[in-house]
Order: sequence, then structure tokens, then C-alpha cells
Amino acid sequence: MDKSGADLYALLTRLTLREEVAEELMQELFIKLNKSRGTGNAANLEAYARRAAINLAFDWRRSQKQTTLPLGQVAEPASNDDSPLGKLVHSEEIQQTLDAVGRLKKASREVLVMRYLQQESYDNIAEQLGKTSHQVRALCSRAIRNLRDVLGSNEHKSSKKEIHNV
Amino acid sequence: MSKIDENEILNRLNNLSQVEPTKETTDHAMQRVRDTLMNNEGRRVGLAPPSLMSGLMKLAAAAVLMVGAGFIGGRLSAPEPVNMQELQAALESSLKSSLEPAIRRQLHDEFESRLQLALAAERNMLKQELAQQVHRDMETYAGQTLTTVGDLMDQRLVEFARMIEVARIKERQRVAAAFDYMGSRFGDSLVTLASQRNNLAGAELTGPTPNKSEN
Repeated sequence: MDKSGADLYALLTRLTLREEVAEELMQELFIKLNKSRGTGNAANLEAYARRAAINLAFDWRRSQKQTTLPLGQVAEPASNDDSPLGKLVHSEEIQQTLDAVGRLKKASREVLVMRYLQQESYDNIAEQLGKTSHQVRALCSRAIRNLRDVLGSNEHKSSKKEIHNV
Repeated sequence: MSKIDENEILNRLNNLSQVEPTKETTDHAMQRVRDTLMNNEGRRVGLAPPSLMSGLMKLAAAAVLMVGAGFIGGRLSAPEPVNMQELQAALESSLKSSLEPAIRRQLHDEFESRLQLALAAERNMLKQELAQQVHRDMETYAGQTLTTVGDLMDQRLVEFARMIEVARIKERQRVAAAFDYMGSRFGDSLVTLASQRNNLAGAELTGPTPNKSEN
């Protein structure tokens, strides 16, 4: 935990954009890892934990979308507005991007997060996923294409709504 | 269809990758995880191990199935309706008699194997500690012995050097005494030689005494 705990917490913060949620998910993640029998069999424990963290974070994002709170009960993000995190939290585009990443297929999502959010090398990702470097490159470019499509369709829908409301 | 280009997406992802939580929150989160894991471990130690629980559960399920099958068979073959209280008592006693010894035996075996394992681990640890302790003691003893031997050797060498020096001084004194003696004897001999020479010379000057028979 000492080795990769900080990295996992940073990853969870990036994916949730809320430090207190990241903390909760971190707890959940380590409890799951502790209980899980697959943890002992996993060849690369760090990669296993990272994939579990990515899945947990996107599960949380999905659950947040499903439980739409009344406006008065929406929790304020626990971050200063001046900080980079605070600025990002309030950026609608960033939230949309993360939601769109969550809608991608599992493999694409993992590769995208590892490559572009964690800034890992293609070789490193390939080693963690048990694929070749070329396969990872192909997965990355396909994931970006899919993400662009998802984001594009979102914008299309929102612009339609705006027109309808007018 | 899409208005967003790839650069825009990469830019957004890059912005996200720059997000770093503060060190305080990271430390706090890690400490919380550590505490939770410690609590979980502590709680787990108090409970029976999962393998034991699953074994017991299987055994209990098998026993219940057997008793249930017996009950159904008996019910089907019984001519009269069964008294529920009697049946309950019979079930309880049969369950108790069939399960209790097996559970006891399994618990006993499980605990014994765990105890053996724990003792073996403890024995290995003690052996290693003892070996390390003996190694350390031997090293200390060897160091002390070397130091003592070195000191003694130095002391003996100093004593030896002092004895040699004393012997040399004595030898010199003897040689000097011998030279003094030789010098004094040489002087005396010279004096004796000189006096005898003088006597001889005096005798030659006076000449030989005349022989009365020649006259």
C-alpha cells in the first residue's frame, strides 16, 4: 500500500474530481482487495489494484448520475476554487469528458486512463494488460475515436434540447 | 457528426492528468486505509478462519440433507401423522448426535494443525534468532581475543627489547673493562721493559770486570 497508495489516491481524485469521494473509494478499494481471493493470484498486483480503482471510480460516476439530488442537497466539491482541481471540478467540459470515458468499453477505458490520465508509456501499459505495445497503441487511438464520437453525440443532443426549449 | 477534434479531447485529458491531490489529503486517506485494514485484520483474527467455516458449513449442509431425506422417507412410509413436537425433538437429537462429534473432531484437527504450524514458525524464528545471537557473540569474543593477544604481544616485545638493551650495555661495560685491563698491563710491561733496558745499558758502559788469573 505504501508503494502505490498515493498513486491510486491521485488516480481516484482525477476520476472523481472530489477528494473526499476519492478517500471513500480508496477505503472501499483496499477493503475489496483485502477480501478478494483474486488479489493473491494476480500476477501484477499494482496493475490489478489500478484496474479495480478505475472500475470503482466509474461505477461511482454512474451511480451519481442515476441518483439526481435536489438542487439544495447537492454537495459542494471539497476543493478551493483557486486550485487546479477546483477549476476543473467546475468545468462542465471536463465532467462531460469523464462521463464519456465512463461510457466506453472496459478495455478502451482502462487504456485511455492509463495512457492519458496516468501518463504511462505504451510498453508499461502493454505489460500490465498482457498485450503488445502495438495493440495498446491501436486500442488508444480507437478509444480516442470512440470518445470523440460519444462527446460529439452528447453535444448534438444538448444542442437539440436547447433548440427545443427555445 | 462530431464538432470536437482530437486535440481538444487530448487537451482535456491532459488537464485531468495534471490534477494532483494535496499531500495532507493523501496522507490522511492512506492513514485511514491503514487503520481500516488493521481493524479488519483484528476482527478477522477473532473469527473462525474461512476455510474452517466453509468446511463446517459443508458438513452441516450434508447432515441436514441426510436428516431431511430420512425424514421425508419416514414421512412417506409412515402410516399415521407424526407428532410435530416428537419430530422436532427427534430432529434436534439426531442433528446434535450426528453433527457434534464431527464438528468437534474437525475443530480439534483444524486447531491442532494451526497450532503445529504456528509452533513450527515460532521454532524456526527462535532458531534463526539463536543462530544470529551466537554469531554476534562469537564475533564479539573474537574481537576481544584479538585485541588482548595484540596487547600482550606488544608488551612482550617491549620487554624483550628492554632485555636486549640491558644485555648490550653489560656487554659494552665488560669489553670496556677488558680494554682498561689490557691497557694497564701493556703500560706495566712497557715500564718493566724500559727499566730492564736501562739496566742492560748501564752494565755495558761499565764494561767487564778484569780477570785476576790473566795478570
